[in-house]
Amino acid sequence: MQKTKTKILRVSKKISPKIKKIDENTSEEDIITRKIKKNDENTSDEDIIANLKIDMLSEEEENFSDLDSQSTKSADKEENDDSIEQHSENEKFVLDDITDNEEENENFNNETSEVGESNDYIAGDSLDENDLESNEDNKTLSESEETETHYVVGANGRPRKILPEIEPVYDSDSSTENPINSVGNIPMEWYDDYPHIGYDIDGKKIMKPAKGDELDKFLENMEDPDSWMSAKDNLLQQNVKLTDEELEIIRRIQMGSFPEKDFDPYEPTVEWFTSKPEVMPLNATPEPKRRFIPSKWEAKRIMKIVRAIRQGRIVLGKTQVQKPRFYNLWNENDQPREEHPMHIPAPKMKLPGHDESYNPPAEYLLTDKEKEEWEQMDPDDREKNYIPQKYSCLRNVPAYNRFIQERFNRCLDLYLAPRVRKNKLNIDPESLIPKLPNPKDLQPFPTSLTLSYDGHTGRVRCISIDPTGLWLVSGSDDKTIRLWEIITGRCVKTWEIEDIVYSIAWCPIREVCAFIFSCSNKVGVILPTGICDDEVALSTSQYVTSGFNITQRKDEKVKLVEWMKPTDEQNKNGILLFIHHAHNKTIKQIAWHRKGDYFSSISPDAGNQGILIHQLSKHQSQQPFRKTRGIVQCVKFHPIKPLFFVATQRYVRVYNLMKQELTRTLQSGVKWISSLDVHPMGDNVIVGSYDKKLCWFDLDLSPRPYRTLCYHTKAIRNVVYHKRLPLFASCSDDGSIQIFHGMVYNDLLQNPLIVPVKILKAGHQIVDSLGVLNCEFHPIQPWIISSGADHTIKLWT
Amino acid sequence: METSQEIQVQVRFVTKQTEYAVTDTPMIVPAKLKRYGLSEIINHLLGFEKPIPFEFMIDNLFLRTSLLEYLENSGLSTENIITIEYVESMLPPTPLSSFQHDDWISSVKIFGQRYFLSGSYDNHVRIWNTSGECLQTFIGHSAPIKNVSWISVKDDEEFTFLSASQDRTIRAWRSSLEHDKYISLYECIGHKGSVESIAISPSCSEFASGSWDSSIMLWTTDLPENNDDDEHIKIQTSSKRRKVIKKEKILTKYPIATMNGHIGAVSSVVFDDKDNKKLYSGGWDHSIRIWDVESRTNVDVKNCDKVVYGISYSGKSGLIASGHSDRVIRLWDPRAEDVAVVKLTLSSHKNWVTSVSWSTKNSFMLVSGSYDGTVKIWDIRSRTPLYTLSKQNGDKGKEENNTPKKIFCVDWDEDIILSGGEDNQLHIYGSKKIGFTRN
Repeated sequence: MQKTKTKILRVSKKISPKIKKIDENTSEEDIITRKIKKNDENTSDEDIIANLKIDMLSEEEENFSDLDSQSTKSADKEENDDSIEQHSENEKFVLDDITDNEEENENFNNETSEVGESNDYIAGDSLDENDLESNEDNKTLSESEETETHYVVGANGRPRKILPEIEPVYDSDSSTENPINSVGNIPMEWYDDYPHIGYDIDGKKIMKPAKGDELDKFLENMEDPDSWMSAKDNLLQQNVKLTDEELEIIRRIQMGSFPEKDFDPYEPTVEWFTSKPEVMPLNATPEPKRRFIPSKWEAKRIMKIVRAIRQGRIVLGKTQVQKPRFYNLWNENDQPREEHPMHIPAPKMKLPGHDESYNPPAEYLLTDKEKEEWEQMDPDDREKNYIPQKYSCLRNVPAYNRFIQERFNRCLDLYLAPRVRKNKLNIDPESLIPKLPNPKDLQPFPTSLTLSYDGHTGRVRCISIDPTGLWLVSGSDDKTIRLWEIITGRCVKTWEIEDIVYSIAWCPIREVCAFIFSCSNKVGVILPTGICDDEVALSTSQYVTSGFNITQRKDEKVKLVEWMKPTDEQNKNGILLFIHHAHNKTIKQIAWHRKGDYFSSISPDAGNQGILIHQLSKHQSQQPFRKTRGIVQCVKFHPIKPLFFVATQRYVRVYNLMKQELTRTLQSGVKWISSLDVHPMGDNVIVGSYDKKLCWFDLDLSPRPYRTLCYHTKAIRNVVYHKRLPLFASCSDDGSIQIFHGMVYNDLLQNPLIVPVKILKAGHQIVDSLGVLNCEFHPIQPWIISSGADHTIKLWT
Repeated sequence: METSQEIQVQVRFVTKQTEYAVTDTPMIVPAKLKRYGLSEIINHLLGFEKPIPFEFMIDNLFLRTSLLEYLENSGLSTENIITIEYVESMLPPTPLSSFQHDDWISSVKIFGQRYFLSGSYDNHVRIWNTSGECLQTFIGHSAPIKNVSWISVKDDEEFTFLSASQDRTIRAWRSSLEHDKYISLYECIGHKGSVESIAISPSCSEFASGSWDSSIMLWTTDLPENNDDDEHIKIQTSSKRRKVIKKEKILTKYPIATMNGHIGAVSSVVFDDKDNKKLYSGGWDHSIRIWDVESRTNVDVKNCDKVVYGISYSGKSGLIASGHSDRVIRLWDPRAEDVAVVKLTLSSHKNWVTSVSWSTKNSFMLVSGSYDGTVKIWDIRSRTPLYTLSKQNGDKGKEENNTPKKIFCVDWDEDIILSGGEDNQLHIYGSKKIGFTRN
């Protein structure tokens, strides 16, 4: 036993010779004994193994000794401190143990070693006053108690008693022979402040064993050959030598076998409870009743089977046909399985084209420039992810390097893009379209180009048709006004005007044969002689010029306009009068009141004097609004009521001229209103805008558009109603005129019916991005006349 | 199966032109034959050396397809005998000449294939002879002439005619070639708008005028009493064109009756050429009205849905033809009680049809002029025009621009067709043979 012990320890010594030498205080024996003690305390093999393993590990650490020596030195310094501090320090160590060290540089090994050291100090501290004898006494005591110590090596230079060797038997209970410390399994720190470490069986104090300084310990270790096989007994606070049995246990644990030598893990089992009936049963309870009555549940199951048999679900005597265990996998009559009803076949890949051929025709090959472009392009943006390559023969074609990636992408496509069977909406798209009457049923409306009135040499900005529908006047950028015979396209008369004619309008009543025009800041009245009866001409002339005889009121502070007689030459041409506006801004639009007496002139740039209303018979002008809100685009008189529509950039304001108040404001929702027209019945208004929209307002409904039509591709220039037929039209810079059927019902419950019926295209050419500048319906016939930037006027019928 | 080439049909040829009559026994001809083939057969039967083209009619409709197609389309059997009537075909009219005017020509009238009367937008009326000479220019109106009408021609020397103008007056003129002078007989004042149309009654004692003031006025042709002065005769030594007009007072005439009924402008009036009492008028109010001149009442109104521009009445067929703004020519039967029945619609023009005129010889034929620049000759037995006369002098058309020159007026007398329009030229078309009447 002894030999084996020494052998093992030698081995361990060989492993860590350096540590042995450098380590002064804590010899390996110490550690091991401590571990053994711990083993005693914890009685768990695993702990021992763990500790031992840690020890072995610690041996390999170089800096271990340095740290250790430092700590010991610091400990030495603190030896002179009073014992309470020591105690607290120890406590701290213990705390470290538990809380897994506050000091970061100390690993677990150090702690364990220091626990041992601190134990040593405690012993040393307690023995500060004690002489060596007491120490010796303690030793002898401990030796006498520990029978396994055979001899004493002078660790501290003193001889030890050699006691007769006791052959320890496994069964022998040494604790009964020499009860050492009866304090039990308590933390020994409790005794740190006392000179004793516990009590023996007789109640006598067991004094702390004498403890030499580190040097003594070292020397002891060096001298004692068996120091390696000693371990610290925690209970006795001293090193004890391990017995052979204990060493054997350690050895076995290290080898990984059972610690106990005689343990037979394979011993035959004892069948305490067997399947065989025993003569004498282990249990004497009487048999329960259920063992003797038929089972209800069994009867139920049986009845179930019986019922099944009766119903023919189970056929008795039917031999089950055995499925053949093996079958021909490649059978000829193997039918393809029917596809699942919800099966969606994977979409087929596109078949390769010519450019994917190994020898594509030359036109598929990329040029160098195209190749460069292809390479510079982002891979995601490329139209195709390969460059067509040409090889002279199939043998030269290299392996396809994108094969894996392509397969992978295909798989990704197949499972990342789930194929979903979408239920087709079974709605006929036709049924979603609102039921609109067929345009054919809404005839008449203009359908085709009939006549062109050529003669102007500038943009024709304005046209007007006389109330009888026979004559047309047009004003143009070429500073002329022309009078046309509508059905023949004959230019009957031309007037030279000094400036661009912006607006022109026939007097709406038939009794007066005259029209007004605006150029720069003037409004003129022209009587086209020759087309009307002499009587009418005379009455018109009188009607227009009678106002000169009325003395003008002089009390006006600011004279808005001046009514002027034309020169004789102008008079000969039929010009009856001029109205000079005081503001020197261009008059953009003039609009008649239906009775042919009042008309309004607007000039958007003239600020507050932008809107003026003139009375032709009395030669009076007035400024209806002291202040205009926004830039006035267009004005119109209501055809029946005394209302006045003023379109500013985004709103149409309706004023009551009798009550002199704002009746309502129409919010068009467009960005820039270009034109406005009032339905001849008076309850509906259409508004055209430069942002291509046409809004239909129903004045009875809301201030917002009843319908917004956006069919033009460019700005709308003008919108008009037909005076008799349910038609309205819009003309635009895109060169087209769109005709709509706009039926207004007398029934208040029925909303207006709006149907686009015709787009009149290919008439006017677009010049400088200006198309059709103006359009007007014939007052009687379903015809529309349009004027364009291409210097022509067209009649559509 | 028989192929179409093998199908043969039995036909019987009949004609009302006795000089071309052939035997009326049925004969078997291949069904694939068209007009030309049938014409060859007739020529062969007649034994003409110089072939004469014929037109063939089945049930009073011109055969425009092959016999087989006709039978298939009308669902007839090929086994019955088909009676085919044939007439000598009208030769295509050829442009004989064209007379240059100073301005647009608004109205042309022909007399006896010798003299042509034209009213122009330059306020002048002219008389031309067949050699293209402007015999006389009549100056007096202050606005474009809108219509002219012959009253009488005496001994090829003295002409009497009327002219209506946009200056709201109608003037009667008399000129004699012998003295090379002309007089304005009287001036008719009464209309408040441009006088668009005048029509002389067959007896030449009355005439009617239609105007843009939507009224129709009746006038007499006899000279008004010289109420204040002597006859104010405008006598002038005629040179070529430009003359100094002497301001002279002219007799004025007032209407004997005014007939109101049209709502819009009256575009055309025409007298029944056999009945002095019947007047037909067309207007912008989409109506054709029949007036009783004696009682000055509107007897009947026939409405369509488009503006009527020109109407013409043929006493031979008893039909009114009217040109419309929807590019079609409508034929009306004025005797029919049913108000809105259009007997036939002829459509081929590409723009407004402004003027129509029946042939004086053939009760089935009429000529029409349109704003699309073409003159079309129609036979009402065929739905398609027989001939389309457009401007042959293409060089002229190309120079100006692409838009066709509008035709304002057409007239047809005997073998001569006149047309005038925007291109300032009076076109004269003629063919030696324009067909014969059936009656």
